[in-house]
Amino acid sequence: MSGEEKKLTMIDLARVSKTFPPDVHALADVSLRIRRGEMIFLTGQSGAGKTTLLRMLCGIDCPDKGYIEIAGYDLSRISGGEMQKLRRRIGVAYQDFKLLPDKTVAQNIAYSMEVSYRSRPFIRSQTEKLLTELHLLDKQDALAGKLSRGEQQRVSIARAVANEPELILADEPTGNLDAETALLVTQLFRSYNEQGTTLLIATHDQAIYDFPGSKVIKIENGRLAIQKPPTLVKKAEGKE
Amino acid sequence: MNFLLAVFSQTWRSIAETWRTQLLSLITITLSVLIFTFFYLVYSNALQVGSRLDNDLRLIVYLDEQPDANLQQEYQHKIEKFDQVERIEFVGKLEAYDRFKGQLDDSQDVLKDIPKDFLPPSIEIYPRRNLESLSRIKGFSEYLETMPGVLKVQYGREWVERFYSFIQLLRVVVFLSGSLLILTTTFMIGHSIRLTVFSRKKELELLRLVGASNSYIRVPFFLEGALLGALGSTAGIAALYLLFRWIKTNFAGQAAQGMFSFSFFSTSSVCMIIVLSILLCAGGSFVSIRKILSV
Repeated sequence: MSGEEKKLTMIDLARVSKTFPPDVHALADVSLRIRRGEMIFLTGQSGAGKTTLLRMLCGIDCPDKGYIEIAGYDLSRISGGEMQKLRRRIGVAYQDFKLLPDKTVAQNIAYSMEVSYRSRPFIRSQTEKLLTELHLLDKQDALAGKLSRGEQQRVSIARAVANEPELILADEPTGNLDAETALLVTQLFRSYNEQGTTLLIATHDQAIYDFPGSKVIKIENGRLAIQKPPTLVKKAEGKE
Repeated sequence: MNFLLAVFSQTWRSIAETWRTQLLSLITITLSVLIFTFFYLVYSNALQVGSRLDNDLRLIVYLDEQPDANLQQEYQHKIEKFDQVERIEFVGKLEAYDRFKGQLDDSQDVLKDIPKDFLPPSIEIYPRRNLESLSRIKGFSEYLETMPGVLKVQYGREWVERFYSFIQLLRVVVFLSGSLLILTTTFMIGHSIRLTVFSRKKELELLRLVGASNSYIRVPFFLEGALLGALGSTAGIAALYLLFRWIKTNFAGQAAQGMFSFSFFSTSSVCMIIVLSILLCAGGSFVSIRKILSV
């Protein structure tokens, strides 16, 4: 890969494999390159390996084999300090939300900005802006543990995007949302993508990846099955 | 938000959430500081008593012969070689006679038929009036006895030895209470940090996931430890001061006041105790946090 190409690449995976004991092959020989500013949808059945892939991209899990590079950092050689800095540049919306139930919605969102030493006015205005966009402004002082699953999911998404990261990883971000709210979330992701943010969204929800220009990658049994524009993928799925 | 503001805000948040656990540590630190400083105060006052020992504390070295100037110089050299002394006085036979005569007042007649040189010459050695000299006085006396021409060495042996034993006992008590302070403080801080980490486990996990630096996670615990040290030691010293005032008002009568002047720690000593407690607690929490949170 040339220097110019490397600069344009946000995620680079080469022959990544991960096996969980006793013998579950979560990922097998996955190679993938995602350029900066792309919005990629990662689809596949439950247990196909989507979450494992996202967990490896944010450094929670390590591959058994292969190479992962994010924003120019080789994750197998990255130091603790560099990993911390890299994580501040990545926003992650987890499938299990990872919210602190005894903290308010605003406090949960503020965490991602506080670790980057953002100013208090920025944190306040960014939190209010995101909660307004996600129709949660009236809940900003409510405890996260008291919210519905759908509301918690939106708070988790707000926290992922709040620090204006270069890369957003979202694991089933609309899994608990109705169609109308899922559209809100999709619009939010699109707006970030339009500003240059790279997005990798693992989803079952076909409705949210149905727009031109974005890529859809399908994983089956831990292997990349299809990597095409969405319309083609949908056609392919339709034939199956 | 800069780093300091962020960690202060984290510290405050953590204290607000775990103050019940911290309160127990605070009480333990306060009591430990109170116990240690109580004995240390008794010890330092005893040292002051030692340093105020009057001129009666001296060693009298009786000689068999009146030393000439050269021998006096030699004695002086040998004495100073063993220990630094405040002053040395040579008392000749006649001076000893005059002093003795002066002490007899109206009964001076008893000396009428006695020759003026019947008393032996002596060297009066005034050791430095501090505890170190006091502790060496026995050894000093033994050393003086070995010098040529020395008949006998005299000093207030019994009093000095008792006082020295008392001071030695106090030293042991201060050492033990100091060790108790260190042990309880580090144990309680470590325990408190473990409980705090346990109660904030999910939050710390989240902080790591969003990219918090090691300092961002660790410094608030370190500050918590330092704050506990500051508050605990201040409360302990304040309690000791109240106790001191109460004892001084109710128990230290006029007689005792005349003999000794009980005093509280100087401002610099108070500051030093507080700073040491802060360092101890902050150090204890730093070690614990490094062990528990190996990020």
